[in-house]
Amino acid sequence: MIKGIEQRRVVLSFNDVSLMTDPDGRSESVDLSLNLLGGELSLIRIERQRQGTAFGDACAGLTLPHKGQVYFLGKEWSQLPPDTANALRGRIGRVFARGNWLVHLSLFENVLLPQLHHTRRPVSELRDEAVMLAEKFGLPGVPVGHSNDSLPVDLQRAACVRAFLGQPVFILIEEQNIGCFKEMMPNLINAIREARNWGAAVMWLTSDKFIWRDQSIPASRRYRLAGRKLMEVIR
Amino acid sequence: MSAVPKPAVYHDQPPDSSPTSPGVVAVTGQWTIYQLQGLIAFISIAVAALWQSCRLLTWRRTVRAEFFYQCHQVGTRALSFIVLTALIAGLGIVFETLYWLKVFGQSEFAGSLLVVVLIREIAPLLVALIVIGRSVSVIMIELGIMQADGQIRMLDAQGIDPFVYLLVPRVMAVSVCMFSLTIVFTVVTLAAGFVAVNALSGTNLTVYDFIFEILSAMGPADFTTIPVTTLAIGFVTGLIGCTTGLSFSGFASDVHDLLPAGIMKSVIATLLISFLVTLLI
Repeated sequence: MIKGIEQRRVVLSFNDVSLMTDPDGRSESVDLSLNLLGGELSLIRIERQRQGTAFGDACAGLTLPHKGQVYFLGKEWSQLPPDTANALRGRIGRVFARGNWLVHLSLFENVLLPQLHHTRRPVSELRDEAVMLAEKFGLPGVPVGHSNDSLPVDLQRAACVRAFLGQPVFILIEEQNIGCFKEMMPNLINAIREARNWGAAVMWLTSDKFIWRDQSIPASRRYRLAGRKLMEVIR
Repeated sequence: MSAVPKPAVYHDQPPDSSPTSPGVVAVTGQWTIYQLQGLIAFISIAVAALWQSCRLLTWRRTVRAEFFYQCHQVGTRALSFIVLTALIAGLGIVFETLYWLKVFGQSEFAGSLLVVVLIREIAPLLVALIVIGRSVSVIMIELGIMQADGQIRMLDAQGIDPFVYLLVPRVMAVSVCMFSLTIVFTVVTLAAGFVAVNALSGTNLTVYDFIFEILSAMGPADFTTIPVTTLAIGFVTGLIGCTTGLSFSGFASDVHDLLPAGIMKSVIATLLISFLVTLLI
C-alpha cells in the first residue's frame, strides 16, 4: 500500500546558488534562489534544452554549484555520502530530455527499473500501478517492445509513466520532443494534478513559450531562466 | 668609439641557449608516468569492484538480474562455440599427443604432458581469447554507446549507481563464465581426443585408465592454477572491457574505435596473468 506524503514541506531549495547552466561553460547562472514546496508546480522557461538538463542535474545533486547550496528534503546534496544520495534520487521521478532508455532492456523493464532498484515492492504490484498510469497517459498498457521499435509519442508517454511510478516526492519534467508533449498535454496536466494531491513537488522545464504561457497548466509559480538570472514572473 | 653590446646572459641558462623540443628521455618519462597513473587507476577500480561485489547491499534484485543476464550472454550463448573449438582442439592436441607418445613408447608421460600443456596453459588461453573476442568486445561497445547516448547519466540521475548496476555484474559474470567455460573446454577436449585415439589408432585405452592417468598427473598446484588463472583472467579482462567502454567520450558512431586498444590490453593482460600464475604456483 502506498503511503501518503506530508504536504507543504520544502522539497527542493536553491540557496543563492551559482552554477554553470550551459554545459559548454559559456554562461553561468548566479544567485538562483527558489523554494519548491510539496504540492506545488513550478513552470520554468529555459532558453535551450541543454540548459534545462544542467539545471535538472543540479536539482538532483548530480552537479554541485560553484556557490550556494541545493537542499533536497532538507539535506544538502554536497554533504551526503554516495549511497544516501542515490537513495534520495530514487525518490525523484524524472522525464529526461535525452538518453531515456537502456537499449538492452525492454520498455517495460525500463519503466519498472527505478522502483525495482530502490524498493522491495512486488513486481506484480508495480506492474499493476504501471498499467494504470499508462492508461492515464493514453497508452493501452505499458509497451513491452524495445525503444528502437516504438513511436516517439509512445516513448514520451512511457517516460512519463516511469517518472510518476511509485508516487515520487519530486517530479522533474524535461521536454524531449515538444510535439509529442503537446499531443499528450491533457493527460500530463491531469497526472500533475494528482501528483500535487499526494504532496509531490513538480518542476517543469520548457523551452516552448506557448507551453509556458498556457494558463490551463496549473502552475503555482512561473519562472524564466534567462541569461544569468532566475526570475519569477507573475501573470 | 662605443663598445659592441653583448647579448644578455641569464644565470639559469647556458650562454647561446635556444628553446629545444623535449628529448627522448623526457618523452619516455612522460609516457612511463602516464602508463603508471593508468595502472594505479585501474588497480583502484579493481579493488572497488571487489569491495562492491562483497557487499550484500550491492546485490539487490536489479543487479542480480543483470548478473544472470550477462552470464547467459557470456556463458550460455558461447557454449556451442566452445564445444566446437574443444572438439577440434581435442583432435589436434590430445589425439596427436597420445598417438605420437605411443609411437615413441613414452605413453606413461601422456598424463603429465596433457596436464601441463593443455589443462594449465592452452585451455585457459584459448577460452580467454574466445571470450575476449566474443563477449568483452561486445561489453566495450555496449557501454561505450550507453555513455555516448547519455544512458549512464540517466542511471545516475535515477539513483542507480552505474558502477554497481553495470560494471560489477559484468565483471563477475565474465569471471564466473571464464572458469566454467574452461572446465567445459577441458573436459570436451580430453573426451574428443580420447575417442579419436581409440577410433583412429586402434589403441584400447579405457575411460578409467585415461581419467586415472590425467588425475594422477595433477597435483595440488594444478587444481589451484585452473581456478586462479581463469577467475583472474575473467576479472581483469571484464574490468578492462567495462572501463574502456565507460570512459568513452566521443560520438556513438565512433565507438568501434575502442576495440583495437581494448582487445590488445585484454590479450596482453591474459598472457601476463597466465605467465605469472605459472611462475608463482
